[in-house]
Amino acid sequence: MSMSKAYPLPIDISPTTVANTASLVRIVAFLFISGAAIASRLFAVINFESIIHEFDPWFNYRATRVLASEGFYEFWNWFDPTAWYPLGRVVGGTIYPGLMATSGVIYNVLHSLHLPVDIRNICVLLAPCFSALTAWATYMFTKEMKDESAGLLAAAFIGIVPGYISRSVAGSYDNEAIAIFLLMFTFFLWIKAMKQGSALYGTLTGLFYFYMVAAWGGYAFITNMIPLHALALTLMGRFTNRLYVGYSSWYAIGTLASMQVPFVGFQPVRTSEHMGALGVFGLLQIVAFVELVRVHVSSKQFQQLLFVSVIVVGILGTLVIVGLTYKGWIAPWTGRFYSLWDTGYAKKYIPIIASVSEHQPTAWPSFFMDLHFLIFLFPAGVVLCFKELRDEHVFVVIYALVASYFAGVMVRLMLTLTPIVCVSAAVALSSVLDTYIDPVVPDATDGDADAAKKDRSTTPASSASVVELLTDIVTSGSSPSKRTKHARQGIIGLDTRGVVILNALGMLLFFVVHCTWVTSTAYSSPSVVLASHMPDGLHIIDDFREAYYWLRQNTPKDAVVMSWWDYGYQIAGMADRPTLVDNNTWNNTHIATVGKAMSSPEEVAYPILRKHDVDYVLVIFGGLLGYSGDDINKFLWMVRIAQGVWPDEIQEPRYFTPQGDYRVDDQASSTMKNSLMYKMSYYRFPELFGGGQAQDRVRGQVIPNPGPTLDYLDEAFTSENWIVRIYQVKKEDPLGRDLKGANAFDKGKKRKRTRPPVRRRSLA
Amino acid sequence: MLIFSPVLSLLALPALVLAAQGSAHERLVKLAAENNGIIKLDTTTFDLLTSPKRDWSASVHFTALDKKRRCGPCREFNPSWVAVAKAWSKVPSSARDSHFFATLEFEENHATFQKMGVQSAPVIMNFRPAAGPRKSAEHGTPVHYDLSSGLDAQPLAEQLSAFTPVPIPFRPPVDWTKWGTVLFFALSGALSFRFVAPVLRNRWVWAIITVFTSLVMTSGYMFTRIRGMPMAAPDGSWIAQGFQTQYGQETTVVATLYGLLSAGFLMLILVAPLQTFAFYLWSGIVFVLFSVLVSFFKVKNRGYPFKLIL
Repeated sequence: MSMSKAYPLPIDISPTTVANTASLVRIVAFLFISGAAIASRLFAVINFESIIHEFDPWFNYRATRVLASEGFYEFWNWFDPTAWYPLGRVVGGTIYPGLMATSGVIYNVLHSLHLPVDIRNICVLLAPCFSALTAWATYMFTKEMKDESAGLLAAAFIGIVPGYISRSVAGSYDNEAIAIFLLMFTFFLWIKAMKQGSALYGTLTGLFYFYMVAAWGGYAFITNMIPLHALALTLMGRFTNRLYVGYSSWYAIGTLASMQVPFVGFQPVRTSEHMGALGVFGLLQIVAFVELVRVHVSSKQFQQLLFVSVIVVGILGTLVIVGLTYKGWIAPWTGRFYSLWDTGYAKKYIPIIASVSEHQPTAWPSFFMDLHFLIFLFPAGVVLCFKELRDEHVFVVIYALVASYFAGVMVRLMLTLTPIVCVSAAVALSSVLDTYIDPVVPDATDGDADAAKKDRSTTPASSASVVELLTDIVTSGSSPSKRTKHARQGIIGLDTRGVVILNALGMLLFFVVHCTWVTSTAYSSPSVVLASHMPDGLHIIDDFREAYYWLRQNTPKDAVVMSWWDYGYQIAGMADRPTLVDNNTWNNTHIATVGKAMSSPEEVAYPILRKHDVDYVLVIFGGLLGYSGDDINKFLWMVRIAQGVWPDEIQEPRYFTPQGDYRVDDQASSTMKNSLMYKMSYYRFPELFGGGQAQDRVRGQVIPNPGPTLDYLDEAFTSENWIVRIYQVKKEDPLGRDLKGANAFDKGKKRKRTRPPVRRRSLA
Repeated sequence: MLIFSPVLSLLALPALVLAAQGSAHERLVKLAAENNGIIKLDTTTFDLLTSPKRDWSASVHFTALDKKRRCGPCREFNPSWVAVAKAWSKVPSSARDSHFFATLEFEENHATFQKMGVQSAPVIMNFRPAAGPRKSAEHGTPVHYDLSSGLDAQPLAEQLSAFTPVPIPFRPPVDWTKWGTVLFFALSGALSFRFVAPVLRNRWVWAIITVFTSLVMTSGYMFTRIRGMPMAAPDGSWIAQGFQTQYGQETTVVATLYGLLSAGFLMLILVAPLQTFAFYLWSGIVFVLFSVLVSFFKVKNRGYPFKLIL
């Protein structure tokens, strides 16, 4: 049968040449994608320098340095006495070591090749390098869903999409840097294992699952996605031996391997998060057994008996798990996990989780900012998956459903939504391109050419015919004969093809421009070094490092520094001094103690500081520069967390004005004005302005002059732009006086005599 | 005898005070008993209740239930308050009579509101005993109840228990309507399973559910729910200013835009190859709606430098 083509194709090329050329083009395209993925993450290095970003990465970096310099066993047994002073922290047993181990391996390999790369540069560049691997894993995954061209599109999307770049720019040395690659690659291996029924792929899935468990707490997502997929397939009546082999090999090896990570330990058999995987594992055993018996036994009654017994065993199993949870053998959902379902939970019971900005719900502009046009191609791709609905498409559908809910609840989980949006959007866009590039036009001699002609002649297509076509497509999902009939029809003119392809290219171009803009402006700030754009150019604000280095060079090595927990890792990493609390918020009471000290008046806070051996107190103050992420803006969380532990002593309403406003000017409540945080922030602040109005540029309020006074602390250091202020805690007065009184005495104020002076006794 | 009389009267003085105190206490007990455990306060009874010699504690609810005050939270909170007070009236009288629940309505007590510096409602103040065995060192300042934990009865009972001699025996009432609804749907689902099953087996039913859910979720629906955002601002504008916030109306508009754009692409893939008119229609729709979306985004993010035709 001869088919007319819309544009001429060379006909004298052998199929092998075409295949080889296609393969070469793919490799070249892939190299470009990797290059783009790495390059777009380097804005931070180019604009600032090769520096570790933000907060958590500083701890990871510090741990990696220990690993690189002292070896793996020392790292494994590392007890850090300087964190959570005076409690200390067993680091080896309280972290996911995958990230540090990865950097350590790279470091050792490079050094054994006599490439003396600094460990810092490995840490800084780890995330961009892994993003190229993520692109590759996404390519492999999408290839299983559609074909190579969709895979390349998906790889290009995930390479530069801001939703993923936000957590993986150079310097953002966090668990997510390698975790998204592991997530996508584990999912790819699972799809392979499930499709082929291969124990080898199942084992590989288990091994990469282990790597993921060792790298990121988000592994629970895989722990629940794979069982959900298997369960859905079983419920759809698509249970096969391939599914059984794939799942069983993954679960057995993956679970045993994951239990080797000390931080995880026996959780896979003791907590509710992991019970789904165990339950589905049990269910598959029963179903497999029943299938086996069914093949060998013909009696119909017996088969019905089996069916009933499966349901009974399933219900019994669920009851056993529920019972064990009730008895306390299986820990119920942890608060962090539970707060995903009951969205009011965290605010009520664990304010420390609710206080973190990345745990807030997501407004729509964030979705558009992070995913751009992928966000509306995504549902189209899901529909296309439904149209075909092979076993692996069920996975995409479940993933899409679950991840879009989670991303809506928590900004941070945008990261898990991004890969599936890229995959799904790539499937949709690649279908568009396939349809309009495919050169086949409807054959005039074909049987239904008359119908096609009629469609073209009656130009304003009635809506009825559209509906007809749609129902045709919908029902054709399962019948291949009809589909080929439609596939034979194609687009006629080059004009229509051109419009769609140009439109798609335009959107892709817009996407690239958008991603570059978002990455360079929003996601490439190290937050350790700030930049401010002034009329006379770019100013680098380096107050944090200035202050941390001051601490490092001017204080004794064992001087304890108290600050709010956000800065704990940075102080440990850059200043190398012991801290009371840090970003590993494991001990709520200890954090509340710091919160109480910050929100109490000086004389109440002083005994707390002395009892904890605090030598320096560090606060972040943005009032001079207009840096809004400062401690006064975080202060209410300190109050709230302290109130959770000492409801009698700290009460949030007292920090507001009678009108219920949060103010720092002369209308501020007396509790607010007397709190240690307020005093440390605004100490000597009005002096800066001479006689003028001391304007706080974050809150836009005028600080009363004279400002607060301090009796129990001395100002030790204030950075150039006043962002970091460090105070030294005074020792007890050598004469045993109250420090307030001693201070007053020094200033020459007379103390009111409450009792007559002791007369010197005359010697007898 | 004359000599003794001042001494006697001196001796009698504490007894008199005690008697006065006793009568005040009795009066409060009586007032509480009359009204389901909640004393309805006016200026004099307020002074009586918060007298500086009190050996009882009290929780006072400042509210504005009057219709014309239009205090939504007051009306929402009142049932919780009544339920907790009712739970307290069930404890044995030995403990019950040493803590009172009282309500002060704004309409009738402007002066007291002003005196206590209450400028918003609802507010709960807990007065601790100033005398007697439960005397508190900080009885001078009443403790405000922290409403940030919500308007529900459960946290209220938990937090007020810190001021009562014994914990308030509050148990959340069984929500019969909820259980009834669940049971009804479960039963009707089980009974009609035969008819529902083909619908459940239809993949397009699931496709609609999935696509609808992801559209709604990616349009910030959870944000509006968790933050309790209204559909639109009181002045009628439906776009919230700022990048990190949105109104309920925006969810609808954005979800519709996404849905239409998605449908446009599906049409281009599935239908348009067969119909030239549909092709031009949907190509145009995709382009125009995308421009609308970008301009909408520009409203939210003023620094956004790109735009299409709009």
